[in-house]
Amino acid sequence: MLYREAGQFKTSYAADMAVFPIRQDRIALGVVLAVAYLLVPLLDLLHVWPFGSDYLLRAILVPFLILSLGAIGVNILMGYCGQISLGSGAFMAIGAYSAYKFGTGVHLPLEWLGTAISIPPLPVLPSILLGGLMAAVVGILFGIPSLRIKGLYLAVATLAAQFFFDWVFIRVKWFTNYTPSGSVNAPELKFFGLLVESPIERYLLCLVFVTVFAVIAKNLVRGNLGRQWMAMRDMDIAAELMGIRPLYAKLTAFAVSSFIVGVAGSLWAFVYLGSWEPLAFNIDRSFQLLFMVIIGGLGSILGSFLGAAFILILPILLDQVPHALGVPVSVETVSLSVLIITGALICYLLIVEPLGFARLWSIGKEKLRLWPYPY
Amino acid sequence: MKADVEPRPGAASLKEAGEVLLSVEGVSLSFGGVRALRDVSFDIRKGEIRAIIGPNGAGKTSMLNVINGFYHPQQGVITFKGKRRHDMRPYLAASQGIARTFQNVALFKGMSTLDNIMTGRTLKMRRGILAQAIYWGVSQREEIRHREAVEHIIDFLEIKHIRKTPVGKLPYGLQKRVELGRALATEPDLLLLDEPMAGMNLEEKQDMSRFILTVNDTFSTTIALIEHDMGVVMDLSDRVVVLDYGQKIADGRPDEVQKDQKVIDAYLGIPH
Amino acid sequence: MEVFGQVLEVLIGGLLSGVLYSLVALGFVLIFKASGVFNFAQGAMVLLAGLALVRSLDFLAARGAPVWAAVILGLVFAGVIMAVTAWLVERFVLGPLVNQDGLTLFMSTIGATFVLEGASQMIFGSDVYPLRLFPTDAWFLFESVFPGGILVNKLDVWGGLIAGVLVAGLAIFFQSTKTGRALRAVADDHAAAQSVGIPISWIWFVVWLVAGLVALVAATVWGTKLGVQFSITFLALKALPVLIIGGFTSVPGAIVGGLIVGAGEKLAEVYLGPHMGGGIEYWFAYVLALAVLLVRPQGLFGERLIERI
Repeated sequence: MLYREAGQFKTSYAADMAVFPIRQDRIALGVVLAVAYLLVPLLDLLHVWPFGSDYLLRAILVPFLILSLGAIGVNILMGYCGQISLGSGAFMAIGAYSAYKFGTGVHLPLEWLGTAISIPPLPVLPSILLGGLMAAVVGILFGIPSLRIKGLYLAVATLAAQFFFDWVFIRVKWFTNYTPSGSVNAPELKFFGLLVESPIERYLLCLVFVTVFAVIAKNLVRGNLGRQWMAMRDMDIAAELMGIRPLYAKLTAFAVSSFIVGVAGSLWAFVYLGSWEPLAFNIDRSFQLLFMVIIGGLGSILGSFLGAAFILILPILLDQVPHALGVPVSVETVSLSVLIITGALICYLLIVEPLGFARLWSIGKEKLRLWPYPY
Repeated sequence: MKADVEPRPGAASLKEAGEVLLSVEGVSLSFGGVRALRDVSFDIRKGEIRAIIGPNGAGKTSMLNVINGFYHPQQGVITFKGKRRHDMRPYLAASQGIARTFQNVALFKGMSTLDNIMTGRTLKMRRGILAQAIYWGVSQREEIRHREAVEHIIDFLEIKHIRKTPVGKLPYGLQKRVELGRALATEPDLLLLDEPMAGMNLEEKQDMSRFILTVNDTFSTTIALIEHDMGVVMDLSDRVVVLDYGQKIADGRPDEVQKDQKVIDAYLGIPH
Repeated sequence: MEVFGQVLEVLIGGLLSGVLYSLVALGFVLIFKASGVFNFAQGAMVLLAGLALVRSLDFLAARGAPVWAAVILGLVFAGVIMAVTAWLVERFVLGPLVNQDGLTLFMSTIGATFVLEGASQMIFGSDVYPLRLFPTDAWFLFESVFPGGILVNKLDVWGGLIAGVLVAGLAIFFQSTKTGRALRAVADDHAAAQSVGIPISWIWFVVWLVAGLVALVAATVWGTKLGVQFSITFLALKALPVLIIGGFTSVPGAIVGGLIVGAGEKLAEVYLGPHMGGGIEYWFAYVLALAVLLVRPQGLFGERLIERI
């Protein structure tokens, strides 16, 4: 009785095409936004549980937001374009290191032209966006050949990108401004004159980024471009006959996806880590994003959030719950269990519900629609 | 119909004029050692319904594939709207106004009926990526305009009840209808239908025939049709081309072709 | 002459290590040929086989069993483990997903990879376990022709011999036997194969078992080279370039691809590396595979896929 569409007639196409056509969904979204933007900062201010310490903010909410953003990016490439990406870590790294260079000033001597490219240090926001742009450019380069070859192409290309850029950011000292240790510190996070430092400030910053990009992603996905992406995924030969240009569709998917992943990388480095080395973006990170997308649901923006939450919380759960029950469990057992459970869950979901948690979620909503009637 | 769609002269008057929309001359196509088409020439006049018939493997689908640019013939010339070409490209075909349905339904299985048909509007949707990212404003207005056009097609094809259903879940007959809708959404000048009635029962065939005739009559869309059901061919088509082993063996009005001895030998057989 | 000797040494070393890659790639080819699935878990299977072998060896040796008995029993034990794994994978992962598309099956093998990695380390331990089944010392060839001779690792030579035997056996199997034909039918079209009465479950069990045994062989060689440890699973990633270059469905392709990757890597590292700061080995194989993919998508020996509407 709670979740009913009856009586909610749409009298215009605009209303029917809205992202959350059902009123209850809109209310739910409003609640989530209110909690995220208002309740969390309020509780933090008052140091009320669960914000007694800043652990929840620092170690869970901030990484959750940033990785969700990364997952949205990977989802666009994988879920909407039907290609598998094993190298998203590299694109996060490109975003992060590019943003770092823009933030600390770019000096590129070009002896053979007798001149040099010199850009003064840029403020943080343009640096992050330019970092995303760099990632998008590289993404487009990798996307160009995908027209000729399908299937496993992307897996190989992204793997090549992963290992290549791992190497680049270690060996090419220019990217790390020649620091002896190889690790770098993020520049000061000054946005429009405001300094972002404390956990709650970092949280709100990430929240804003994620909200904006989630809206943009959702808009693209349900519009003409999103349909082009899905058409290319489902049957690219027929898509061409609809007037869809395969190159345009593929390259925009790569560009948008890489841009978002690049921005996520910058945020990860600047806002979450503070100081980092290339290892932060290695193949484990790529697999982490891959799992988030598979588990959360391919082709679903909501799924990106659900998958990120799951992957992030699982190790913490496996660690804290036994401790709470008084059963000692070693770090190693926890990490091995995470492997087993994640792997088993992927297999299970692929068998039972290939569209992941997001689909389970909407099935749940369907049942809720009928509740308390069984069918 | 919507103001989007230009009113066209009635089909009957077009047919009388007999102007040629598409012609293929001396088209030959081979795959390795297999010769799919051998020196085939025929034309399609504006406003007519042209049937292409023949036994399996005669090269009918290959002919359609050549017309819309999936296959590139080794020899021959394709002339569409007065422009002569040695081969076509799919995108070019689409932008010039050629649309197509496929023998084994080529719908986008992961999308709903509505979304599938909306993809047909791609060429008419002009708003760039930035406008789409923001959505509210120009992009939304464009989306609504095209949604209206698509809803008219959905009404016409009587598929309102399945508009939000993922097409993968639809029965074969309805899928074929959705595919027709998708082709119609492009507002084509030439519509290529590859066995649109395959696998349908009598009632579905009657519905489909009705749709095809209405499309031809009301929108003056020229139609080329591959079909095995001779009753349908007789009823619907203005002229018929008969292919056999990649060669054209007859070309003319349905009643003429039906009596042609070569056609009877190759394909029709004698009624008994 | 000395330079030529150096090049030869690097080349031979590269070729031999390439053969070791081929050993892993063979398992992939088997499964791909037989089920159309790219088995990402092959690397994890090498780890599992290696762990089962080395731990049982150590266990028996500690109880005072003579070396030859320990080795034989260890191999049998590891073989049994791989058989059980094959059965479990077929029953719980592949079976339920029969008729799904390639991407879904591929992702399920990613899931299986992690389960196997976690489970094998949980059961058998996660240290580095040295394995000494083959001689690992150096051999100096052609000392009369080149000063100092050409350094060749005996282990690599053993690896090459074993790979050669395996390849010959597998090639015969696929071409000439009834089961081999059935496997190829299954790889082409699951539903069609089932409809002509080919028992898919049994076929897949057999294939995964054989792939598991191939993994065991690979584990004996790689385990001796690197010690049995978690990083062996990354061999799975290296196999991808080998398969791209050689062709996914070709047994000889796996060998040739392995040789090219192995030799290419070593030569690039020694001769290009110093100009680029070193460490080229890390990514060279993948970039090479990418280049091949652009020029010849089906690899050197693979089959071209033709799409029809």
